[in-house]
Formats: sequence, structure tokens, C-alpha cells
Amino acid sequence: MPQMATRQWMATHEWMVKPMHQKEWIERRGIMIWIAETFTSLGSGLFLVSLFVNSWWGLLVGWLIIMFLKLPLHIAYFGKPWRFYRTMPPFSNAWKTSWFARGILFSVFFGTFAFIQLLAGQPDIANWLGSSIATPIYYVFGILAGLNALGVGIYGGFIMNYVKGIPFWNQGLLPIVIMLAGVADGFGLIMGVGLAGGDASVHWAEMGSRYLLLINILLIVTYLISAGYTSPTAKLSIQELIKGRTSFMFWGGLVFLGLAVPAVISLFGLISGEEANALLITAIAAHTLGAFALKYCLLKVGIYRPLLPKIAAY
Amino acid sequence: MRWGMVINLAKCTRCHACVAACRIEHFLPLGMTWPRLIAWETNIPGEELTTLPVRCNQCKEAPCVDVCPAEATKKREDGIVYVDNDKCVGCRYCVVVCPYQNRTFFSRDKDPGFFPGHERTRFEKVGRKLYPHTSGTTEKCNFCMERIDAGTAKGLKPGTDREATPACVNTCQARALTFGDLDDPNSEVSKLIKGKNGFQLHPEYGTEPSVYYIDSKIGNALSNVAPREAQTASHMQHLSTQEARAREIFRKK
Repeated sequence: MPQMATRQWMATHEWMVKPMHQKEWIERRGIMIWIAETFTSLGSGLFLVSLFVNSWWGLLVGWLIIMFLKLPLHIAYFGKPWRFYRTMPPFSNAWKTSWFARGILFSVFFGTFAFIQLLAGQPDIANWLGSSIATPIYYVFGILAGLNALGVGIYGGFIMNYVKGIPFWNQGLLPIVIMLAGVADGFGLIMGVGLAGGDASVHWAEMGSRYLLLINILLIVTYLISAGYTSPTAKLSIQELIKGRTSFMFWGGLVFLGLAVPAVISLFGLISGEEANALLITAIAAHTLGAFALKYCLLKVGIYRPLLPKIAAY
Repeated sequence: MRWGMVINLAKCTRCHACVAACRIEHFLPLGMTWPRLIAWETNIPGEELTTLPVRCNQCKEAPCVDVCPAEATKKREDGIVYVDNDKCVGCRYCVVVCPYQNRTFFSRDKDPGFFPGHERTRFEKVGRKLYPHTSGTTEKCNFCMERIDAGTAKGLKPGTDREATPACVNTCQARALTFGDLDDPNSEVSKLIKGKNGFQLHPEYGTEPSVYYIDSKIGNALSNVAPREAQTASHMQHLSTQEARAREIFRKK
């Protein structure tokens, strides 16, 4: 009996003995990170696509998503939100080593440059400035904002990729998966901007979305297969995605809503040669929900390798 | 100079005295534990339950130092990695990035008091003043750097003189923990690592932990347990030191 009592008491310390989930960025307040990261993808993706198709309304919506949805959520997650200024120069030079600090800088630069670009692109202000001044400002700051939007879209992938203890995240492909998923989300949202009467071509966006969707499907499948070969812990993450606790989000959210529904609607548009608004709205909604599902799945199945892999067979 | 620790797994008796000593030394709230004793079960007769004492590895190439966006996690010249709680923004990237999971984000719910629902004890109240833990920031083991600094200022040698040695090392009744300078080839830790093939946890991560383990024959066989008298003497000595310290604090108050 005394041994049994000891055993029960000790069982509470079975920590890092078996593969253990990352919880800080997905449970309790960590939900804010999940939502903020999804807005990062949506905002930066929309901004980049809008820059490419030169849609002022798309740029504005992308900028609003980053500045008023992503950043406040990230800062609210901090244990000491009012100290957020400490993450930036001159208070910190951590950008030299930390992707987190770099991401904050990208976001701040993006916010500033994109704001100037948006002002220069606004018709009334552009008329007031004159096209000889407004146009160069619009393009120069557009390039600067675009480069920083690229940084905003990709830094989350590098943050996760740097975590060596979680083999599923520690993959070279992750930043690319996250970046391209963001661009695909951007194509989805730009269709919404076009449908809402903005200055974007729905037909063009739908075509771009089709190609990106195909690339994303291949990329996600490649990622899952390659990650599975790297470590038994990463394989465990994949098993959890496919048939574990996160399978509903993976199959229902990511595969069905995020990939299958937009793909079927896109195929229907390709065959019939016309885009019904109701179907396009469904595709946009499904794509956006898929973006939430992708980030949830990635964060939720972050599993640490045990401290003694030989004992736990990992 | 690089401070390091060697843990003799054959000698560890799973008494949790190191965990308790750390709680007393740093007035740790109940929801936070800096050193831990992890346990698992095996099929080896007599060693069904085995344990491994873990704490922050004070890595030479610490990922937590690199990722901290506020430069709140720093590495000293003597290799100790510590958190400046006045700078920490509480982003928890360091908690996630630590492959050994030896960091804790300290939130208010982790401090329910030693007797939840009741007034805090005098020990806790004094602890709040002596070692304030800032909620909303990250904390971890710092090799008792305050003791090391205070001790070395008096000319004492960490690892040899108790006053300059981490509390967990002092209190270990089985003498399973050894502390010293890893850069000094003649230090006890260096000799133990060299002589007994010391190993680190997950060296493949390239973090170069400063905590080494020796004698992988893990367990608490009777032959490995220090004599009862030695255990009691060591433990009582630690308690008396703490008691003297507490008396001094209350007298000042």
C-alpha cells in the first residue's frame, strides 16, 4: 500500500516523460494567438494580392485587419501589454536574433508605410497633392509596405519553425506553407472586395485563387508527408491531426471548408464558365474558415519530444 | 567561468528536498516549481518507478535568450541565464521555445496562497517583500544567482562553500547534486563528467546544457541511499539555516 500511495503521488509529475502538447499558444488566453495569427495571414495575404492587382479597397481592408485585429490581439495576449514598446528599438535590439521582434518591427513598418500609401492613393488626397507627387509616393511606399507585408505574413512561420523541441513545427517548409496559405486567403478575400463593389476584378481573383488552391493542397500534403519522416513525435502530431482529437478541425475545417469546398466551386466555375455570386460568397466564407482551421491545427498539434526519448520511445 | 551542475542519478532518492528547498529559498508560489522531479514507470524489477531531477539547464546556446523580443532573458558571463522581470513583456515565446520546458509563465491563478481561502502566512508575506514574483512574466531556475553573487563577494567558492552554493545542492541529503565551474578542468563537476561519462539532455538540439547527468543506472536501490544519520544531519542543517534566516527577517520587521 505505501508503494501504491507513492506511485499515485508521483504520477502527477509525469511531465515531459511522454510527448507533451504545447499549450501556451492555443489554450486559455492562447486562443488569442490562434486568432491573431489567422488575421496575420488574412491581412498580409489580402494586402499583397491587392498590391498585385492594384486594388485600393483591398489594401485598405488588409491594412485594417493587421492594425485593428491582429496587433491588438497579439498585444492583449502579453502578460504585460503596456510594456509592448520594450520589444522595439531603441529599447531592444532583439530583432538581430528573434523572429518575434522582427515580426513586431515588420508590423510597425507595414502599418506606417501602408498608411502613407493609402493616403497617397486616396482620390481626394491624390488630387490635392497632384499626380506628380502622389503617384511616386503611392508606388514607393507601396513597395516598402509590400516588402513588410511579406515579412508580416512569413514571420509566424519562422517563429514556429525555430522551436526545436516540437519536431512538427521544426520543418523548413513551414514558413512557406504559412505564407502561401496567407496569399491564398488574400485571393479569397479580394473576391469579397470585388463582390462588395470594390475595385478588384472578381474573375481574375477567382482564377488566381484556383492556382493557389492547387499549390496549397500539394504543399500541405508534402509538408505532412515530409514531417512524418523526421521524427516519431512529428508522426504523432500527424496522427493526431488525421485521427486524433484535432481530426474534426483538420477534416472538417481545413480539408472540407478550406480546400474541398473552394476547389469544387472553382471547378464548377471553370466548367460552367460563369461565377454565381452566392457560390463565390460560399467559397470566400469557406476559405476564411479554412484559414482559421489551418492555424488551429498547426498550433494544437505542437507536441514536444520527451526529455528522455529512449524511455518514451520517441 | 561557466557554472554547471552534475546530477548523479544513482544517488537521487526522490525525496523532493531540492524542490522544497527551492520553494523556500525563492518563496515560490504553489503554482510554480523551478526544479522538478519527473517520474516514469519501467518493467525493471525493483525499479518500477524511476525519476529524473530537472531544472533550467542554463544552456550555453540558450534559445530563450535568442528569441526574447524584449531582451529580458539574458545570459551572464558566468553562464547563468536569468529573466529580468522588469523588462519581460509576457509573450511566452521563451516558454514555448525551451525544448526542456523548464520555464513557467507566472499568472495570478498560479498563486492561490499556501492555504487557499485563508489569510497568507507570515512566511508568504515576508516572501512577497524579499522575493517578489511579478505576475504576467516568465520565471525559471537561476542557479540561485543571488546566493552565488553574495557568496563570491565574500570570497567564498560556489560548490564548495554552502553559503555560495545553490539551495538545492545544499539540501540534497544523498549528495546527488554537485555544483561547480565547468570551465575548470580540476573542478569536481568537470572530473565527474569526464570520469563518469556525464551526459546532457538532448545534446542534438545544440543548446549545450550546463546540467549534466551521471550514472544512468537510474533508481533508488538501498545501496545508493545515504545513511539515515547523514540524511537527517544534512536536512536539519538546511532547516536550521532557513530558520535562522526567517528569525532574522522577523526581527527586522
